Order: sequence, then structure tokens, then C-alpha cells
Amino acid sequence: MRAVEIIEITDNCKSCDHCSSICPTGAITGKLGQKHDINHQKCINCGQCLINCPFNAIQDLNQINKVKQALDDSQKYVVVQTAPAVRVALGEEFGLAPGTSVKGKMFAALRKLGFDQVYDTEFTADLTIMEEGTELIERILRQKGPLPQFTSCCPAWIKYAEDRYPKILPYISSAKSPQQMFGAVAKTYAAQKLNVKPADMYSVSVMPCTAKKYECDRPEMIASGYQDVDVVITTRELAQMIKTAGIDFLNLAEEEADRLIGSSTGAATIFGATGGVMEAALRTAYELLSGETLGKVDFHTVRGLKPVREATVNIPIKELGQTVPVNVGIVTGLKHVDSVIVDVLAGRSKYHFIEVMNCPGGCVNGGGQPIRHD
Amino acid sequence: MNTFQEKTNLTRRQFLRGSGVLAATAILGGILAKFGFNVQARSQEYIAQRANGLYSLDERMTLRKSHENPEILQIYKEFLSPGGVTPLSEKAHHLLHTKYGDEIPELIAELKQHSHQAA
Repeated sequence: MRAVEIIEITDNCKSCDHCSSICPTGAITGKLGQKHDINHQKCINCGQCLINCPFNAIQDLNQINKVKQALDDSQKYVVVQTAPAVRVALGEEFGLAPGTSVKGKMFAALRKLGFDQVYDTEFTADLTIMEEGTELIERILRQKGPLPQFTSCCPAWIKYAEDRYPKILPYISSAKSPQQMFGAVAKTYAAQKLNVKPADMYSVSVMPCTAKKYECDRPEMIASGYQDVDVVITTRELAQMIKTAGIDFLNLAEEEADRLIGSSTGAATIFGATGGVMEAALRTAYELLSGETLGKVDFHTVRGLKPVREATVNIPIKELGQTVPVNVGIVTGLKHVDSVIVDVLAGRSKYHFIEVMNCPGGCVNGGGQPIRHD
Repeated sequence: MNTFQEKTNLTRRQFLRGSGVLAATAILGGILAKFGFNVQARSQEYIAQRANGLYSLDERMTLRKSHENPEILQIYKEFLSPGGVTPLSEKAHHLLHTKYGDEIPELIAELKQHSHQAA
């Protein structure tokens, strides 16, 4: 896939080699003692090197100016979406403990920054479950596509698969990521409802992720007739914008996201943690396939931080009149995905559905999150 | 006999230097292993805290299943599959699905054709 320069190693590099040991694709060149460089052809833009560099010598493409220009342009109608993982880490930039939810303050801050509509990526996370979950059901019941089905939310994983394993691509769900689904419905459905010309709409995305900067620029992400998502900033960049604007973040009153494409369910919230997409899909697939209502919606077996996890969920499938054991796998950290792929290509995999996230722990530990050296 | 000869060829100075390097490597290795392990353990801790933040938000939500989101039902009924809630509709395919790898140039051509017709 195209090489885009999202991640750069600066001259502050102390040549310690820590980044090379973390990089999942061997994209970092330079021997111990030499300034390191990134091979952008190989780089999947995940930013794990950046958040783990002991000397803060690695940077990502800063997009704050583009956002400011759009906000200052009176012709532009600027909408914003924020990913689930942002709301439990943004507070760290203002001295709060990791995991503290600042959801309501974040929406309030975005309004103060001047966005015309403050929406939520969680809305399209729910939409992803509808599309990707239905696709899985079609593959299982009607053989419409090979099994297992892989998730498609993580843009680092997608580039990795395209670069290294072209044969695995038919197994990956064709559903776009929540960010890109949002971009496509904002400039069509929302633009119509708001009576805004899609050409005047500017779509900003706040992500815990540096690879999302690459994803929004992919040349095929133009389903609305325009670039669907115009620009992506990270959790760190949003914090910087809030500070520069002099907003007293910690004392903001809580607000909610705007309606229309802004409401969400708990299933969408957990997308930000490894296993979350799987759990959200299971909640919906179970009810749609069985016609029954789940008593307990928690699937504790798919949670945790172990790099490879698996579970079997017995689903009474109404259409078949029998209970089918559905095997699911979860991979977090691309260093652990190769053996899973090899098994699938060799026809040895027992899974029906596999979630893959590049970053260890999922999006909460994405390359766009606050940097912690504690 | 070769082995024996090599051993006798090792001078006292070489032996000291060799064991010095070995000891330094072992100590450094130990420090690095300990440091590295702690860094990992600490990052596991804040990753878990952030994940727990999401799980507790989920628990506090009234609706916890995607197919129950009223705005999701609305976008299907009014826009993606008019009249009903039908995922994978033609419009859903056009806006919400993509292709990968070698199939991308063809997809781009289709999308450009589509927006040309719409215009």
C-alpha cells in the first residue's frame, strides 16, 4: 500500500533501539548507536514506537492548523466525531487518573472550540455492528464469503494484511471502520437533514490513533462524493487545542453529543478495548440469530489483556432449529497475528470470527493517546 | 587435544578481560530485564485502567446493544434501507463497505462514476 509519512523520528533520537524492538513490521532502520529512520513503505502508522520512545524523539504529522483553519472559515460547516478510547484518556493531559471518563466535558470543550455539530464515533460503531454482524451471519448461514471473518476497524491491521498477506483479504469484513462510516454518512445523510451542502461540510475526527490519519487519506474513502473524513487529530492534539484556547477543562459542565448521528449504546463504548468489538458483535448476533433476549449482556470470556484469547459461545440459531457453538478469537498486538493467519490459510482454523487490533490492549493504548512514562 | 591446547593458550590477561565482559553483560542484562519488565508491568496497569473506564461507562448505559440504538433504526428506515431496517442494502454497501488491496482502483472508478451520475 501507499507510503505516507505519518510517523517521523526526529534528530533527538538517542539511538537506543527501543523503537525497533517494538515495531511490529521491522520498519525502523538504524543500528544501535546510529540515528534511526522509518521505512514508510513498511510502516503501518500505528505509533507504538512514538508512545514508547524514552526520549520523546518520535513525532506524528500534526494537523492542528488544518482544524483551526476550518474552524476560522465562516464558509465551512465543521462537524466532529470522537472515538470511544479518547474519553477515558483525555483527562490524563489535565492531571486526572487513567480511565477517568471526561465524556461530558469533552463534548462541552468541542462546542467551545467552535465545532458546528459535535457528534460521536460511537454512533457509527453501532452501525458497524449492524453491517459487520449481518455480514458474519450471512457468511455462517448462507456461505456468502469465507470463514473465519476478520474485523476491519483497525487501519494498521488492514495495511499489514494488504502488505503481507494479500490472500487473507477476502476473509476480512468489507465493513468500513466506524471513523470512515461516520465520514460517509455525515456528508450524505446528515448534510441532507441539516440542509448543508456536502461541499461546505468539513469533517474532523478525534482519534486515539495515528494510523487513522493514514486511513482518512486513502483514495477510495470518497463514497460521499467528497473526501469523507477531511482530517484526523489525536487525543494529544485535542488536549493541546483545549489548552491553547484557554478553556478551563476540569471545570466545564458536562454536555451531551448532538442528536441525529450522535447517540450510542454501551456496545459501541467498549470498541476502544481489546475484545470490545467482538463482545458488541456477540450481543447483537446472539439476539438476531436466536430471537431471544440476552439476560446478561457481559461476555467476560473475551475480555482481558492477553495477546491471544478465545471463547466459544453456544447460540441457539432459530433458522436452523439447533444450537451452534460459535468459536471466536481475539488478537491484540500484531506480533501475535502471523500464526493465526497461517492457520486460516492452511484451513486449520477453528474460528468463525476473529478480532484483530494492532495495539496491545486495543485502542485505549493507541499511538495517539497521552504519553506516559510512569 | 585441540580443546586442551586452546585452553592453555588463554593467557591470564585474556581470561580476566573475558570474564570481565561476561560479568558486565550479565549485570547490564539483569538491570535491563528488570527495567524493561517494570515498564511493561506499569503500562499494563494504565491500559487496564483505561479499559475499565470504558467497561464502567458501558455498565451505566441504558442501552447496551447496537441494534437497540434508536438513531441506528432511524438511519436505516429513513435513508439506508427506506421503510425497514435492512443492513447490507445497496446504499449501505455503497457508503459503508469497502474493498482492499488490488481491488481498490476498480472501487475508486466505481465511486467516481457514481458521484458523476449523482451530479
